[in-house]
Amino acid sequence: MRQARTHSRIVSGSGGGGGMSGRSGPHSLPLARIKKIMKKSSDDVKMISGEAPIVFSKACELFIEELTRRSWIMTVQGKRRTLHKEDVAAAVVATDNFDFLVNLVSDSAKSKVNPEIMET
Amino acid sequence: MADAPASPAGGSHESGGDQSPRSNVREQDRYLPIANISRIMKKALPANGKIAKDAKDTVQECVSEFISFITSEASDKCQKEKRKTINGDDLLWAMATLGFEDYIDPLKAYLTRYRELEGDTKGSARSGDGSSKKDAVGAQLGPNAQFAHQGSFTQGMNYVNYQV
Repeated sequence: MRQARTHSRIVSGSGGGGGMSGRSGPHSLPLARIKKIMKKSSDDVKMISGEAPIVFSKACELFIEELTRRSWIMTVQGKRRTLHKEDVAAAVVATDNFDFLVNLVSDSAKSKVNPEIMET
Repeated sequence: MADAPASPAGGSHESGGDQSPRSNVREQDRYLPIANISRIMKKALPANGKIAKDAKDTVQECVSEFISFITSEASDKCQKEKRKTINGDDLLWAMATLGFEDYIDPLKAYLTRYRELEGDTKGSARSGDGSSKKDAVGAQLGPNAQFAHQGSFTQGMNYVNYQV
């Protein structure tokens, strides 16, 4: 099952090796990773119930779908077929409950993927 | 921990291969895998829709921010109520508070389904384990041991009943 192209190798690698996404289980996102991100969000986060990452695995799915659908509306309005970062930024600005992302999308529009900017 | 083997591959993809392995590891802690995010994004688009890599990267950052945003709110609530553990209901509450009330119903349905599945597998695994163990040990050690194990088996049954 070796594939020559780097991209497909990586996709299958992180899918199968992830332990969560490789199997046909109910969660489409890795729970251990979700937990790590939760712990990073504040020093006060000490203990997390087993169900919390499970709630997030579904919530993140809903969030990604909503953000993508709203971004796609921007793509279509621009008469394009490829969704770009600018569409995501426009969708964030146009949606009230995405206000918390405004700094992130305007930052990443200036300097591309700089994790140090990500502060809560 | 379970996804550690996948880390190097996913990391080099996300960072475009420019960063050192060490910062890749840290980036792994910060974001969900881009392949999973990409798959969920594609589901939300029509078949002819394409997604640029910069859009995937941005959504990947946004998801981590979303998790932090909700978690912080839930954590504040726990602190006020002097509880140490953030649970699923705290997260649901935080989402409702922060404008994601549309997610609550699907999440509740998801949790209910998960609890049913989890309850089924745990229950059957436990009672199955208990009875086979009892049979094997009882056959080897004779009547006294069997009696002792019967006691523990009954306890096990009680536990399963209690759970259901």
